Amino acid sequence: MTNHVRYGDLERAMGGGQRQVSLDVLSPTLERDAEGNLVPVKYEKIRLPANEILKILKPYFSVRFMDQVRAVVPLAAYLALFQILFLRHLVEDSWIVTGGLFAVIVGLMLFMEGLALGLMPFGTVIGSTLPKKSPLPLVLFITLLLGIGVTFAEPAIGALKAAGQNVIVERAPYLYALLNNYADRLVLVIGFSVGAAAVMGTLRFLYGWSLKPLIYFTLIPVLGLSVYCAMNPEMAKVLGLAWDAGAVTTGPVTVPLVLSLGIGIASAAGKGSNQLSGFGIVTLASLFPILGVLCLLVYVTLAISPDEIIAAAQSLSTATSATPAWYETSPGQEIVLGIRAILPLVLFLFFVLKIILREPLENTSEIFLGIALTIIGMCIFNLGLTYGLSKLGGSAGGLVPIAFMQIDGIEGSPIYIYSVGLILALAFAWFLGFGATIAEPALNALGITVETMTNGVFKKKTLIYAVSTGVAFGITTGLAKLIFDLPLIWLIIPGYLVAAVLTYLSSEEFVNVAWDSAGVTTGPITVPLVLAMGLGFGNATGAVEGFGILCMASIGPIITVMLTGLWSRYKVNAELKAGKHETTQLEQEVGAAL
Amino acid sequence: MTRENLTYVTDASLVSCVVPAGKGDGVLKAARDLGVGGGTVYHGRGTGLRERLGLLGIAVEAEKEIVVMMVANERLDMIIDELFQAAELDTTAAGYIYATPVDKAAVYIPEAALNQLKDA
Repeated sequence: MTNHVRYGDLERAMGGGQRQVSLDVLSPTLERDAEGNLVPVKYEKIRLPANEILKILKPYFSVRFMDQVRAVVPLAAYLALFQILFLRHLVEDSWIVTGGLFAVIVGLMLFMEGLALGLMPFGTVIGSTLPKKSPLPLVLFITLLLGIGVTFAEPAIGALKAAGQNVIVERAPYLYALLNNYADRLVLVIGFSVGAAAVMGTLRFLYGWSLKPLIYFTLIPVLGLSVYCAMNPEMAKVLGLAWDAGAVTTGPVTVPLVLSLGIGIASAAGKGSNQLSGFGIVTLASLFPILGVLCLLVYVTLAISPDEIIAAAQSLSTATSATPAWYETSPGQEIVLGIRAILPLVLFLFFVLKIILREPLENTSEIFLGIALTIIGMCIFNLGLTYGLSKLGGSAGGLVPIAFMQIDGIEGSPIYIYSVGLILALAFAWFLGFGATIAEPALNALGITVETMTNGVFKKKTLIYAVSTGVAFGITTGLAKLIFDLPLIWLIIPGYLVAAVLTYLSSEEFVNVAWDSAGVTTGPITVPLVLAMGLGFGNATGAVEGFGILCMASIGPIITVMLTGLWSRYKVNAELKAGKHETTQLEQEVGAAL
Repeated sequence: MTRENLTYVTDASLVSCVVPAGKGDGVLKAARDLGVGGGTVYHGRGTGLRERLGLLGIAVEAEKEIVVMMVANERLDMIIDELFQAAELDTTAAGYIYATPVDKAAVYIPEAALNQLKDA
């Protein structure tokens, strides 16, 4: 043992590229003032050379860039490959689409980072201090306004507006009117509904209400009004938009900001935050907008008739032969939209913080940089939406029908015999839904929550597969609706009735998870892509409108998750009854939780 | 459990490696490749150069992971050298690595390994 030479000693002796420096030399000298007290050390700002700055920034950007690449590229590649391999068509304007997708990636990267730096600090401060300093009615009123603000800032809302330009006024006048003449009021109504949902959700976990009755009481007017609208052939064409609006609202801005306020209110009231506090708001925020849009529709039908809308649209199209102003054409329009989406929310948050709370803001420069990044990201994302996602989704949607039917202007269609082509198109939709959902980061987070909630009996993987399968079947059903021109109401009513029965049978925890899982699956990439695909498909097949796929993608996971929950409860109970093995206290608890 | 099971390990140092959050597992992997038996990862947060970088500080991960492992004194310098590279600590505000002497430690050592030592 003793005749060893230590490697370190050897290397030091050989001068192996090591130096030593005393920490004392590196430490700043301490000074004392006249009374002998130590003067606190003042640190100077460090200026780094360019290569060091690059070394810091490179991993920072590459991690965030790759996050978005992982979300966008597989979906885009799937759409492009399907077109090339099965439909034998190259993607049109492939360079523009590629550039657009790149803009989506960069825009989302900047947007998400800006959100974390610039807007979330507001959410945290307001969420923790507002409920303590202000009376409950004022807090709820601010929650309502916040709901409107976040809806405007939601990236996917731009996709709804973009969809409006493709609606043919003669075919669906009310749909055209809502998406064009009334577009701002439409977003306002959706925002107001989200705000109302946030208020209800907050009250719910303040007073510990069960989610079940809330769902029943929301479903009754929503389904009732839908049936009423379905009676009128003109109004029925807007149902798809109304039900899709629910899926658009619950995105990366709304969920964290509204939740942080809601949880803040609950904990200020001494209710603490239990596992279920966060749930429910997302559910209500995807149901209330349906009601809101349908109410707006009723208002519009009372205000103007279809003939008036068509006449107005036709006179408008002849009148605007002059070149439109710079802010009405791309790319100026996207930039104006981006600023208009973010600024009101920022100003509102500032107002609440400074005037109502009188709280100081820390790290102001970071927050301003964050806000700037959010706005720039939103503008770039909007550009990418127009040139990338909408174009790709639209062209994919427009081409899929050539698999099984004759489309004017495309040679060689249909490519396959009817049944083969139809199965191919439906399989395309199924895998699109499954693939887009399984990679959603929000779903992963939900899975972890569920796994801890059920002591590991309901695995994260099980939830992810249940939700993905639900979305896959939902999107397939939505596509089938377009192909066979089924009325949406015949899909919605049975779907939600089944969901209501399952809700009655399931335990409170699973009701929360299942209804929320519908909201988390529709992110800022899936929504525009699926919307554009549906509209492109609808235009190609001559369907009246291409909405309705997203809402089917929402109801799918609600049903599959509750079914899976019931199935695992049945299995646990069956094992308990059969007495296959000794039942422990833990297993009984798990059985009860399921 | 008998008294004989207790065997002290000596000539050891404790290496602690403070790295940006998310890099802890990579450091652990590098350490295992260097023959370190295992390690522990803690979560931590602190201040340092990041606060003096101004806006550039945003790009520096504030959350850190602390990887702690016991290594043989013989290999201490080599391991510190390798881990410094693996964790890319030659970057501003990335973190640091240090070693403290371990007086004695006890850990499960497989029976076979102990017998081999006795024979030698």
